[in-house]
Amino acid sequence: MALLPKPRLLKLQELTCSLFNTVYNPTSARTGNKILKQRLIGPSIVNWYPAKMIKLKEISNMFPDFDLVDQGEQRRLDDIARRKRRGKGAPKKGQGKRAIVAASKKK
Amino acid sequence: MSLKPHFGVLRKAAVRRDIKIREKVAESELVRQAYRYIIRNETLSPRLRRQAQLNLNSFDIHSRPTSIRNRCSETGRARGVFREHRLCRFQFRLKALSGLLPGVKKAVW
Repeated sequence: MALLPKPRLLKLQELTCSLFNTVYNPTSARTGNKILKQRLIGPSIVNWYPAKMIKLKEISNMFPDFDLVDQGEQRRLDDIARRKRRGKGAPKKGQGKRAIVAASKKK
Repeated sequence: MSLKPHFGVLRKAAVRRDIKIREKVAESELVRQAYRYIIRNETLSPRLRRQAQLNLNSFDIHSRPTSIRNRCSETGRARGVFREHRLCRFQFRLKALSGLLPGVKKAVW
């Protein structure tokens, strides 16, 4: 092979490139092909953190036609209603302890 | 300490920022790579390559892949994070000792 003249070697290289479907680049010019060969990292990067947990409230907001019951929320509302019936509910605006103290000080 | 399996993340501000950066990088990656190809291709005209450089610089600073930080998926810690498990060293230890990481075993000799 080394005995062959250079033009013939180049010709051989060109033929090899056409056969194996590679780029013929005898002057080794920088064509930027290595960037085209790089793998796209986007899809693997995005999923680093586990997905955020979807709350039932978001689902029921998305589908208002379905009557989904959030048991925890229902329990909380029942609890509030029960306490209100016993007169232990949250005071109205301006009728809490602090508001009464502030009002008595003003006088 | 959260040893129970769960699907959410403690969303610290830094983690949220990192998620946003990751989305931006993924979104702009294809166009960025195209510009990078034009810049590196010496067979193209210098004018075109210069224009590609300017366009690449005009992207949002957070769309650069180097601005991504691999944080702990459990606590959001930025340092001492094992890439394989996406956990910082302490969370890795906790999970490994409680047997939540398959194939990880404490060395004894």
